[in-house]
Amino acid sequence: MNVEISGLTRRFGRTQAVAGVNLALEAGVFGLLGPNGAGKTSLLRMLATVIPPSSGTLKLLGRDPGSYPQRRQIRRRLGYLPQNLGYYSGFTVAEFVEYFALLKEMPPERVPAAVTTAVERTGLGDKARAKLRTLSGGMLRRAGIAQAIVNEPELLLLDEPTAGLDPQQRVTFRALLRDLGLRATVVVSTHLVEDVGAACSQVALMDQGKIVFCGTPAELTAQADGTDAAGDAPLERGYSAVLAAARAATGAPS
Amino acid sequence: MTAATAPAAPPAPARPARITLPAPARLLRLELRRSIMPWLAPLLAVLFWLTTYRPAMANPPFWNVRSGMVQSHAMLAFAPLLAGAAAWAGSRDRRRGVADLVGMTALPPWARQVAAWAATTCWAEAVYLACVTVLYVVTAHQAAWGGPLLWPVAVGATFVAASCAIGFAAGVLLPGRFTAPLAAFVMFLALAGGAFALQANISYAQIWPLNVQGAFPADAYGIFYPYLPDLPIAQLLFLAGLTAAALGGLGLPAAAGGRWLRAIAAAMTAAGLAAAGTGVALAGTARLEAHGIVIPALHDAASDRPTSYTPVCAHTAIPICLHPSYRALLPDVTAALGPALSQVAGLPGAPVRVTQVALTSVQAEPSNGIAFGGPVISGRPPVLYLPLAGGTLPGQGTASAITENLREQDGPVILSALVGLPGELGAQAGSGAAEATPNPGSRHAAQVAVLDGLVKALGMVQSAPGGRIQHGTPSGANQELAATRRFAALPAAARHAWLATHLAALRAGRIPLSEVP
Amino acid sequence: MTTAGVGHPPRHADPAPRLRAGRWLAGLRLARLYAVSRRVATCLIVLIACAVALRTALHWLPRSGVYARQIPLTIEAGAAAVIGVTADSPFGEPERVAGRWLPYLRLAAAVALTGAALGLLAAGSASQPLAGGTPGLLRDLAGFTGLAFLAGAALGGALAWIGPLGYLAITLPALAGHWSTPWVWPARPPHDHGAAVCAGLVFVAGLALVTVRGARAWFR
Repeated sequence: MNVEISGLTRRFGRTQAVAGVNLALEAGVFGLLGPNGAGKTSLLRMLATVIPPSSGTLKLLGRDPGSYPQRRQIRRRLGYLPQNLGYYSGFTVAEFVEYFALLKEMPPERVPAAVTTAVERTGLGDKARAKLRTLSGGMLRRAGIAQAIVNEPELLLLDEPTAGLDPQQRVTFRALLRDLGLRATVVVSTHLVEDVGAACSQVALMDQGKIVFCGTPAELTAQADGTDAAGDAPLERGYSAVLAAARAATGAPS
Repeated sequence: MTAATAPAAPPAPARPARITLPAPARLLRLELRRSIMPWLAPLLAVLFWLTTYRPAMANPPFWNVRSGMVQSHAMLAFAPLLAGAAAWAGSRDRRRGVADLVGMTALPPWARQVAAWAATTCWAEAVYLACVTVLYVVTAHQAAWGGPLLWPVAVGATFVAASCAIGFAAGVLLPGRFTAPLAAFVMFLALAGGAFALQANISYAQIWPLNVQGAFPADAYGIFYPYLPDLPIAQLLFLAGLTAAALGGLGLPAAAGGRWLRAIAAAMTAAGLAAAGTGVALAGTARLEAHGIVIPALHDAASDRPTSYTPVCAHTAIPICLHPSYRALLPDVTAALGPALSQVAGLPGAPVRVTQVALTSVQAEPSNGIAFGGPVISGRPPVLYLPLAGGTLPGQGTASAITENLREQDGPVILSALVGLPGELGAQAGSGAAEATPNPGSRHAAQVAVLDGLVKALGMVQSAPGGRIQHGTPSGANQELAATRRFAALPAAARHAWLATHLAALRAGRIPLSEVP
Repeated sequence: MTTAGVGHPPRHADPAPRLRAGRWLAGLRLARLYAVSRRVATCLIVLIACAVALRTALHWLPRSGVYARQIPLTIEAGAAAVIGVTADSPFGEPERVAGRWLPYLRLAAAVALTGAALGLLAAGSASQPLAGGTPGLLRDLAGFTGLAFLAGAALGGALAWIGPLGYLAITLPALAGHWSTPWVWPARPPHDHGAAVCAGLVFVAGLALVTVRGARAWFR
C-alpha cells in the first residue's frame, strides 16, 4: 500500500477540517470528490506532508512522515500540485520544472532529461523557454503538473489539476493520469465528476471532514438508483444522492 | 521494402560528454539567473559614482585616501540598500505563494535558503567589486607611488555579505511588505548609531564597519609604514561572524532540516556570535599609535618597520627631502620653508636636513578626534622632521595657498625651536591648539623678541594661538616690541651673523632684551 | 388577470437623505477596506515607532554638527519608505478595472499617511532641538515621500522604498560635503526657497502618478 491512513484528523483552531479518515491506497488513480469546505485540500496537504495531522496514523510509501529522515525519503518520491499554484514569474517553464527537480533531490545527471520529458508530457514543449508570466492560466496549470511529475513520483497528489484546461487538454490529461496510475498512486481532488469517471478507478466522497463514500465510479453512480437526486449526469446524481444521505444521517442541512 | 540491407551508416561523431553540474551548483545557477539583484545594479553603480567615485577623483591619487573612501563612503550607500533587497529576496516564497509547494520538497529548506542568499550575495559582490575595480584602475594610472590597499576592499566585501545575510534572514522570518524598507532603514540607523558611538569615544565603536583607521587623516597611514591590518582584521571577524550567525539562525527552526543539519546551523550561529563578539572585544582594546590603530592581540611587529622608499629632495641651503608620493608638493614646501631655512642654515643647532615623516606625535582627543604634533628638530646632527599629513595634499588647492599654509603653520615652529623657546611659550603647529601663551618672564623676553623679529622679517604670520605673545607689563611690552622691530629691520646677513655668535646664549636665556640688536 | 389589488404604491418620506447616508456609510466602508488591504494600520504603527525613535534620538544627539541632521533625516526617509510601500496593491487587475473610486482612494491614503507622518514626527520632535525645525521636516518628508511614490510607480509598490532610501544614501554624504544644489534639498537651509520648490515638485509629481496610475505591479 502506498497510502495507509487510519483515524486521521486535522484541526485549524476550532475548525475540524478532517474528522477521522481511513484510507488504504495502492497504485492507481483515486478520485476525491466533495463540496467546498469538505476537507479535501486539508487531506491532500497532509498527504503531501505540508502539514502534520492533528491525530491519527499516516503512512506514505511505507514510511512514517512524522520522522524527518523518512519524510525526506517520501518527499523525493512525491509530486504535489496545490489548488492555488504560486510561481516565480521570471522563471521560464523549463527553469520552473528544473527548480523543483533539484528541490526534490533528483540525481543531477537525470534532471535535464526529466525536465524535458515532463514538459513534453504536459504539452508545453514549445513553451519550454517562455517566461511563466507570459503563459495563460491553463498553461500555467500544465506547468504546475509538469513540476509535480518531473521526478516520476510514486505518490502524486493533484488538487484541481484540470482547472483552466480546455476540453481537449482535459482529455489528454486524463490519459496522462491513467498512464501515471499504472505505476504510482495518483490522488486527484476535483469538482469535475467527468474527470473522475474518465480517469479514476476508485473514488471517495468527502463531506464535513469525513469520507462518506468509497468505491468505484460505477458504485457511486448506482447510489442514485431509486432516488430523485439532482444532477445532469449519472455520476452527478450518485454524488448528490450520497451527499444527501450522509447529511440526512447527521441531521446537517443538505 | 526488400531484405537487402542498406550500407551501414557511418558512426555519428562522438558528442563531447556534458559536464553534469552538481545539484547545489545547478540550484545556484538558477537562482543567479533569476535574482532581483541585477535590476538594482544600475542604481548601485550610480550611487557609487555619486558618493564615492566623484569625491575620490576630487582628491589626489593617494591609495590610502581613495581606498579609505571605498570603505567609508561606498558602504554607506550599499549596505542598507542591499539589506533591503536581500530582505525582499528572502520573502520571495511567501510573496509568490509557493511556500507550501517548496516546503514539501525533499531539499532541506535551509539549504534552499542558503542557495538563494548566495545568489543575492554573488550579484551584490560582483557589482561592488566592479565599482571598486574601476576606481582602482583609474587610481593606478594616476598614482605616483605605492599600490592598491586591499584591506578596505576586503572589509567592504565582507560587509556586503553581512548586509545581505541580515536582510535575507529578516525577509525569511518576517515576510511582509514592510520588511524590506525596514531592513534598509534599520541598517541606516545602525550605521548612524555606530558613527555616533565612535564620536562619543566608546572604545568598542572602533568596530564600526565604516571606520578606517579611526580619526587618522587619510594620508597619515599606509605611506611611511605599512597599512596596519589590526582594525580591519577585527572588523572582518565581526562582519563574518554576523553573516554566519544570520545564516545559521535560519537553520534553527524544526522545519529547517534534519537533526544533523540543524546542529550544524546551531554551531554556525554560535560560532558566528562568538566571532562577532570577539571582534568587538578586540576593537575595544584598540589604541591610537603613530602609524595607525593598533590592536595588541592582532598586531604584527613587522608592520612597525617603515616602508622603504627613495626620497625626492630639493637641494637648498638645508636640503628638503619628501616622500616620493609628495613629489608634487616639493616646490611648494621649498618655497614655504626656504626663506626661514636660509636664515638659520649653518647656525649651531640648526637642522642639517629637513625630512618628511608621517607624524611626530599623536594623541587621541575627545569626540573621536586626534591631535598630532608639528615639526620637531631632534637628533645629532639635528634634523627637522616635518609631518605633512592632515594638511593639503599634492593636487589640492593652489600652489600659493599651499605655500602660505606651510609658511604660516610650520615656519614659526621651526624658528621657535631654533631660538629655544619652551613648547608652551613658542609657536605651536599641527591640529592641537596650544594654550594661551603665559606671560613670558624676562628670561624668555629676548627669545620672544628674536622669534617675532624673524617672523616679521620673513613675512610669516603666526596663525596658531600659541604664537600670540603675551607681554608682561605695558612698559615691558613696549621694550619687546622695540626689540622685535630692531631685529626685524636688520639685514638678513646681519641677523644671521648675530645669531651665529649669540644663538647658544640666546637659547640659554642669558641674552637680555636690551642686547637684541 | 385584473387590475384588482393593484394599488398605487404607498407614499413614503423622501428617500434622498437615507440614500445619502447609505452612500456615506458605503464610502466609509470602502475606505476602511481599502486601508485594510494596504496595511495602513501597520504603517501607522511603524510611523509612531519612527516618531518615538526621533524623540529618543533628539534627546541624545548633539544640538549641532553632522549627526544632528543625519539621524533625523534617516528617520524621515524611513517613514517615507513605509508610506511608499502601502501603495502596493494586492489585487492587481480586478481592482484596476472595478470602478472609478480607486484614484480617490489612492489620493486620500497617500495624503492622509503623509499628513500622519508629518504630524507624528512633528510631535516626536516637539520641544526638542530638531535641526531645520518643522519647515525643514515638512520639506524633507514631502520630498522623500514623493520619491517613494515615484519609485512605486516605476518599480512597483513593493520596491517603492528604494526611492527615498537610495536618495538618502546620496544625501548623507552631501550633508557632510556641503553640497549646494537645491535637488539635494536636505543639504539646504530650511527656508531655502529653491530646495522647497524642488521637494514640492517631487512630492506633487509622485502624488499625481500614484493617484492616477497607482503603484506598478512589475516586481512582486
